[in-house]
Amino acid sequence: MIEIRDLSKWYGDFQVLDNINEEIKEGQTVVVCGPSGSGKSTLLRCINGLEPFQKGEVIVDGVSVSDRSTNLYKLRTEIGMVFQRFELYPHMTALQNITLAPMKVRNKSKKDAEAKAMELLQRVGIPEKAHAYPANLSGGQQQRVAIARSLAMEPKILMFDEPTSALDPEMIKEVLDVMIDLSKGGMTMIVVTHEMGFAREVADEVIFMDEGRIIERGTDVSFFKNPKNPRTKDFLDKILL
Amino acid sequence: MFDAVAKNISYLLGGYWITVKLTLFALAGGISLGILVGLGRISKKKWVYYPVTFYVNLIRNIPLILVIFWFYFVMPIIVGRPMDPFPSAVISFIIFEATYFGEILRAGYQSVSKGQIDAGYSTGLTYVQTTRYILIPIALRRMLPSMITQSIVTYQDTCLAFVIGLPEFVRRTTIVDNIEVRSIQLFGFVAILFLITCYISSVVSRRFEVKRERGY
Repeated sequence: MIEIRDLSKWYGDFQVLDNINEEIKEGQTVVVCGPSGSGKSTLLRCINGLEPFQKGEVIVDGVSVSDRSTNLYKLRTEIGMVFQRFELYPHMTALQNITLAPMKVRNKSKKDAEAKAMELLQRVGIPEKAHAYPANLSGGQQQRVAIARSLAMEPKILMFDEPTSALDPEMIKEVLDVMIDLSKGGMTMIVVTHEMGFAREVADEVIFMDEGRIIERGTDVSFFKNPKNPRTKDFLDKILL
Repeated sequence: MFDAVAKNISYLLGGYWITVKLTLFALAGGISLGILVGLGRISKKKWVYYPVTFYVNLIRNIPLILVIFWFYFVMPIIVGRPMDPFPSAVISFIIFEATYFGEILRAGYQSVSKGQIDAGYSTGLTYVQTTRYILIPIALRRMLPSMITQSIVTYQDTCLAFVIGLPEFVRRTTIVDNIEVRSIQLFGFVAILFLITCYISSVVSRRFEVKRERGY
């Protein structure tokens, strides 16, 4: 589903991504962790073409992201993205946030788009908030609306960029539950997170990044039990307490 | 005590109507063009950014009265025939106000979080759609108080069109004054009418500000 080959990226002289190689198959959930500034978010943004890169190749569903002839707008309809700070449109209700892209990009009728949006709000557990504005929703509710907004385009892949980092502890679970549900439902997911409980439960692979490189990877449990790299061990000790 | 006003009321209000029309045209055109000017000012494309920035800096450093004046006297040389004062004034105001509204909106655009724009792109919206449905509406709402203030200034500044002989409110009052010689009464009437209308607008503006504090 996603193939990343020798991906490197620089901001000026500073190298943010250093020779990243990774393959993600359909239906897999890959968890990416690592200290801040290690290039996790940049990696996600290279996959859906929000950031250009200088070297290597990213192929999503058979389409090269960096190819000049690729229609990035079309490609992005297949890759949903959920952000750390939710990024809901503040001037629209939850329902309008969800229906905007299906109506404008997929040319769905308002009725169809709203029916689908209500179904998604039901799925993330807040159908009663359909007509609320983001400012009147809690962080956890906003993030669930944001997930519904991504799902409304019926993407093949969902990317999460630290989806629970801006949430109060009691709201983290409600968002993780939705994500676990999606993962078990067969969605292909890349999740940047430090929620190791989540990783243990659903990750098919865990990647640890540092200074733009993947320095450790493992399939679920083995990763936590015996990390090979001292940097990984150090990091895991800190976040697992 | 308002006898001179009462005697000439329909002529004076006719002038006021021209003032109102000029304001409405100036605002509609100035804000529409200003939306584009603001976008040009945040553009990463150099061939958009530099010309727009030059235009903004040029116009904002010339007094409005000179813009009105020059446009009225230069246009006949370019198009080959004289222009009526009203369309000439409308175009001058649009050219002038667009730079101010453009700068207000530039600040508004820059206040919209990049994440919200990325969220739009990540659902497959194009640049035009993201700008139309996310960037512009959020910026306009956020900048509403400044926009209303600038609109009130525009409304007051329409008097300057008297320099090219446009018979708007103030000019007509001057004409009546030349006949009636009741300056305090006549210009007092003008002041009161401006005071009331501007005050109402600023009250409306303040209500929007309160709303903004509540929401986003």
